[in-house]
Amino acid sequence: MLWLAWRQFRAQAALAFGATIGVVVVLVATRAHVVETFGPAGSQDLTGFYVWIRLLGTALIGVPAVIGAFWGAPLLTREFEDRTYRMVWTQSVTRSRWLATKTAVAGVVTVTVVAVFALVFTWWSGPIDSAGNRIGTANFAQRGVVPIAYALFGLCLGTLWGTILRRTIPAMAASLTGFFIMRIFVQRVVRSRLIGTESVSVPSFGSSGLGGWLLSSRTVDAAGQTISKSAAEGTLTGACHITRETKDVDAALAVCAQKFGIHDIAQVHTGEQFWTLQTAEFGLFVALAAVTVAGCFWWLNHRSS
Amino acid sequence: MTAAIEAVAVGKRFGRTWALQESTLTVPAGRVVGLVGSNGAGKSTLLNLAVGLLQPTNGQITVLGARPGRNAGQLAKVGFLAQDIPLYGSLSVGDHLRLGARLNPKWDATAAEQRIARVGLDRSQRAAGLSGGQRAQLALAVAMGKRPQLLILDEPVASLDPLARREFLADLMELAADGLSIALSSHILADVERVCDHLIVLAAGRVRLAGDVEDLLAAHKLLIGARRDANRLPADMTVIQESHTDRQSTLLVHTTQPVLDPSWTVSDVGLEDLVLAYMAAPSAVATSTIAQAVAPTLRSVG
Repeated sequence: MLWLAWRQFRAQAALAFGATIGVVVVLVATRAHVVETFGPAGSQDLTGFYVWIRLLGTALIGVPAVIGAFWGAPLLTREFEDRTYRMVWTQSVTRSRWLATKTAVAGVVTVTVVAVFALVFTWWSGPIDSAGNRIGTANFAQRGVVPIAYALFGLCLGTLWGTILRRTIPAMAASLTGFFIMRIFVQRVVRSRLIGTESVSVPSFGSSGLGGWLLSSRTVDAAGQTISKSAAEGTLTGACHITRETKDVDAALAVCAQKFGIHDIAQVHTGEQFWTLQTAEFGLFVALAAVTVAGCFWWLNHRSS
Repeated sequence: MTAAIEAVAVGKRFGRTWALQESTLTVPAGRVVGLVGSNGAGKSTLLNLAVGLLQPTNGQITVLGARPGRNAGQLAKVGFLAQDIPLYGSLSVGDHLRLGARLNPKWDATAAEQRIARVGLDRSQRAAGLSGGQRAQLALAVAMGKRPQLLILDEPVASLDPLARREFLADLMELAADGLSIALSSHILADVERVCDHLIVLAAGRVRLAGDVEDLLAAHKLLIGARRDANRLPADMTVIQESHTDRQSTLLVHTTQPVLDPSWTVSDVGLEDLVLAYMAAPSAVATSTIAQAVAPTLRSVG
């Protein structure tokens, strides 16, 4: 069965491996420039051709969806549409083994390709990230191990829709829609709750200098009582005589706030929590993939007959 | 000996329509079974149930003593040629043999290779470029390579030209001579008559007639005589089809007894006429009673 599954998937696999090698070559060749740009003497800004390479991160967000639609959805629908399932299901191999082998081959190729892409890109972006924030922004989904789990989930979701709908185009559409809904839902609603936050004290006015992902904050006075920000601002402008004529209002407020002990208590995911959050979201999507693929087995054995 | 196919009150529903209903039949092993019936009569459904591609909505079907298609061992016992002969278009003839070898533990490579060589198939040719006859031969080589005990073919000759059809059926008869049980569906009654020794007639999703061809022919007679009411026949006769002119009645009857009434001209019935009579049986209700009345008798004869 492995032979057949590989024989049917090898063209896509070859294309994907080729593309990945191309990406890796480009990233390896250009990293020195990134290190230099974001080094002490660098301009801290990528220009020209390098901007395009940085966009590979955006591509990395799209890759799992594409894998779901173009590998997952047709994995079974092609057999249904060409009616070949009737031939292959009547050899001496059960449907479950057939499905297991097919998804395993596609899954291994998916994980290999996306893992190489994501990890090499994370390494390439290292100098950029050390200067900025990689936990609280869209960058989170372009770094580390989460793209691998997204891709695995995309593949399994596409396969499930293919199993249910049996036709390629509807399965592709359903797979893309479902994938993005789940991704956005997790990013907007679930991600911030996956791991515990840390409480940090940050200045109420001016730059917070916070490198992490700010989830909520409240302003407190010297006694630790929560006060509203506008009330704090009113008190401080009166106490330190800050008026419209004051040159830098924010800076004056910051200095004044420090003097009176007014500051913000913020709930954040700090930069150090990056890998913890990566692991949690990785686990979540791998679990979703497992549930989805279990659905494929159930449907194939109970509803496809 | 275990029956090749045994169905007990099997029904299969797709959505709201019943493709097969209350079908009970026993096909002994070692037979070549012909499954005939008009389009939508339930032939494919019955065959797909027998290979396990479909599960019955109600009733029970057993093939070679076990439920079809549930495990690899059962799958290995049954060879199947699906309708329209699906093959992987991008895979070559050789790839298909390799597929057979990889997916069937009992694979007989020599037999499969010989079959391919005998029909002159080029191993390197892609399946997409094969003619209908070549596709059927390749599919048969794959199905036979797994050394099944029962070979099931769904309209195998439908897409073949007359010559390819003749060759293909000759191959089947050769396999049957080696003791393989075969079940095939076909629209072409002449083929069925030539190849099959057991017959199942389906109409509107119900089994109308089932039995060994010899017994079926022996149990049916064509009676021609002066016009009279069919109701006045002896109790052991069941009228399958009747036609009347002003002066003459022609009756196709089922009877296991000799016809004694000298006023009838009695003649044997051809298989084709018999099948057509059952396929065209007037109304579902009337025919289902006939089928129920006839089928048990025939089975006890068989």
